[in-house]
Amino acid sequence: MTAGLSRRGLAYAALIAAAGSVLAAVGDDYALRVATLVGIYAIAAIGFQLVFGRLGLLALSQGALFGVGAYALALATVQGGWPPLAGLALSVAVPALAGALVAIPVARLDSHYVALATLGLAQLVLLAVTNLEITGGANGLYGIPPLTVLGVDLADGWQMLAVVWSGVALALACFAWVIGAGRGGRLATLRDAPLAALSLGLDPARARLLVFAVAGALAGLAGALQALGLGVVSPAVARFDVMVTLLAVVVVGGRGSAWGAVVAAMLLVPLPEVFRGLEQAYLLAYGVMLLAAVVALPTGIDGVVRRFLPDLPAPTPPPAAPKSRKISVLRVERIAKHFGGVQALDGAGFDARAGEVTGIIGANGSGKTTLLNIVTGLETADAGVVRLDAIPLLDLKPGARAALGLARGFQHPEVPAGIDVLTAVSVAAGPAAGMAALDRVGLADRARAPATALGPAARRRLDIARALAAGPSVLLLDEPASGLSASERTDLARLLRDLAATGMAIVVVEHGMDFLLPIADRLVCLEAGRVLAAGRTDDVRRDPAVIASYLGEEPA
Amino acid sequence: MIETTVQLLATALALGSAYALTALGFVLIINAVGAVNFAHGDLVMAGGFVAVALSLLVPEGLPVPGLILLPAVLAAMALGGLGLAAVAYVPLRRAPPVSVFISTIAVGLILQHAITLGAGPQPRVGPPLVGDGLVDLLGAALSYQQIATIAVAGILCVAVHTLLNRTRFGRRLRAAAQDPEMARACGIDLRVTVGATFALAGALAGGAGLLLSNQYFVTPTDGAMFMLKAYIATVVGGWGRIWGAAIAALGIAVFEVLVAAAVSYLVAEVLLYLGVLVLLMLRPQGLFGEAEGRRA
Repeated sequence: MTAGLSRRGLAYAALIAAAGSVLAAVGDDYALRVATLVGIYAIAAIGFQLVFGRLGLLALSQGALFGVGAYALALATVQGGWPPLAGLALSVAVPALAGALVAIPVARLDSHYVALATLGLAQLVLLAVTNLEITGGANGLYGIPPLTVLGVDLADGWQMLAVVWSGVALALACFAWVIGAGRGGRLATLRDAPLAALSLGLDPARARLLVFAVAGALAGLAGALQALGLGVVSPAVARFDVMVTLLAVVVVGGRGSAWGAVVAAMLLVPLPEVFRGLEQAYLLAYGVMLLAAVVALPTGIDGVVRRFLPDLPAPTPPPAAPKSRKISVLRVERIAKHFGGVQALDGAGFDARAGEVTGIIGANGSGKTTLLNIVTGLETADAGVVRLDAIPLLDLKPGARAALGLARGFQHPEVPAGIDVLTAVSVAAGPAAGMAALDRVGLADRARAPATALGPAARRRLDIARALAAGPSVLLLDEPASGLSASERTDLARLLRDLAATGMAIVVVEHGMDFLLPIADRLVCLEAGRVLAAGRTDDVRRDPAVIASYLGEEPA
Repeated sequence: MIETTVQLLATALALGSAYALTALGFVLIINAVGAVNFAHGDLVMAGGFVAVALSLLVPEGLPVPGLILLPAVLAAMALGGLGLAAVAYVPLRRAPPVSVFISTIAVGLILQHAITLGAGPQPRVGPPLVGDGLVDLLGAALSYQQIATIAVAGILCVAVHTLLNRTRFGRRLRAAAQDPEMARACGIDLRVTVGATFALAGALAGGAGLLLSNQYFVTPTDGAMFMLKAYIATVVGGWGRIWGAAIAALGIAVFEVLVAAAVSYLVAEVLLYLGVLVLLMLRPQGLFGEAEGRRA
């Protein structure tokens, strides 16, 4: 991944350098100003790529934070008499803080509420700067002093261009830092596989805080540079047009790609100059390009470039199995849960012992999946007790339960886009542990394939490997055999027996009795949220009540 | 005192009934396709401009130009809704919902700036629904226009309610919105239900645009504001709850008019946005919770 990225990065950098030398050769003052503006928007757009591209949240406050940065600089220098450099620092800090503050209320929100909450904030910022006296009302603030260092005016001409594009380089470095150290994979998992992310112990609130703060800082830097370059700010910097420009840049550039955003800014930001005299006709052009991009070219410019310069397959690390974990017993007792008027669980429970496979069976709607969700913390119980060894789990968050050794596989595994199989599997452990987990499930040869290129059966194995990577002591699986071929079922059965033999406690919710009965040491049969029978597999399968209610006359 | 109150309430009800029509269309699309239609406010604005354009065709001196134009505006904007579905939803029906957020933002931009280029940025006055005149109610002078606005919106709401709840077609629409997979398995053609929903939403937006265009004028930049109000109403009324959104929209108008009268419109706006932020912080699932089984 790194090698391919740097290969594309080099190509992009070469393109930008070429554009820069054309500018140096034939550019006039006017072209210089446009090139400076391109850089300014690129910085803010790189920040938006983190929030929207990587975290998947349509946070429509990024444009307003650009305005906050511009006004912070103007207020500090014009009203506060600060030197411009100090003002610049303030206008990075304030939007970063504002971004973090935005992240706190939206941390728990679904995406359709995030758009509204951030839109509301953007409206408030616009209303504030337009109507407050201290911000100069509709006229804005004039007379921002130039940024001079050792007597050189940096806010003018080529110096300003250099300052702004150094800011672009800084923004690219920030972007690389945020998605570095495995965070790119974690962000993709939080975005595309939120339930898996929760049960793996990833913390969405922390990720949102970091990403929103960095995105806010970059928006603020961009806004401040704009204010420095022009020497004035007006409410136009906080209007929705800025946001629309950033959105168009990010979508045309390719969602999630920082370099793509820079190139798209080079294409789109000069457009208002092309349409000069036609008022805001450039926004009409943005609308058309945004629509065309999202419909016809959903991967954007970077998607096209990626087709010609794909990631070089990076070497895979040597597998290293995770530290062996203690041996655990999971006790689930008297769980009750109702949804509206429906009593989904009514005193159900089970024990899962180390080294054993415990099967949970029962008709559709008998509460099997709800029970797994309650044990792993995706749903709350109305009553009951869950203990891992002696530790009560029900008050713990899913992440804390994962840290204690619980891991969960899903019936319909969600698979993150834009990362390879090994990265997807390593989000909760490290690449070496991820590689070991891939070895276990027989996916090691696909380690560098894009995760979304896997078929349904391989996605199931990815999901199990993702759960195994952290070295859990209890593994809970929800219908792992459904949709698998006979030979895949045989492989899966062997894998589960092998894992049990290492001392892991395995819990399998399953309908396929031909799959489950040979591997299960114990069975728990649920009916209408209660335990109908529990015990050794042979006893439960012969239980007349179980046969009558679920297995039928001829158990497989 | 009482006449001021009655006057204000009539103003609020007239504004609120237009907001309610807007919110109704907005939430119908959310239910049908699980995505927010950011162009919805621009459909309202476009409806206002369609009404303005059509009114130029009606001979002077007719007593009820707005009422005569209403069916034409509804029909034109139903087509507009279909057009929106064709460019911004159909190509993206398998893409994640956020793609539809983006494509409708794009269509909104296109509508706003195409109309600015064509008609200019200045506010336009739409046709009055009925002729001028005042009715005396408890000492307050209510204009025919206000009463007609409330009546037309009320009739449209009843029509939508009847369509959704009393007709076979309406049941199909609701079934397809609740569980598209199951509806398809039952032989419901989702292309028809989604297309009909966009057409209905477009027509309602057009109706709202016509109703607002006379008393409040219509400006190409108005769309975002209408959309925001509908969006807020949808959150307050409970995501996916059709009549919750309509009633919340009415409530927003009452709030706006009363606060604007007591303090200023600016304060009303600030309080509204602050309120929605506080609401989302305290109750991330909306004031009345999401409709059962709703996902967006």
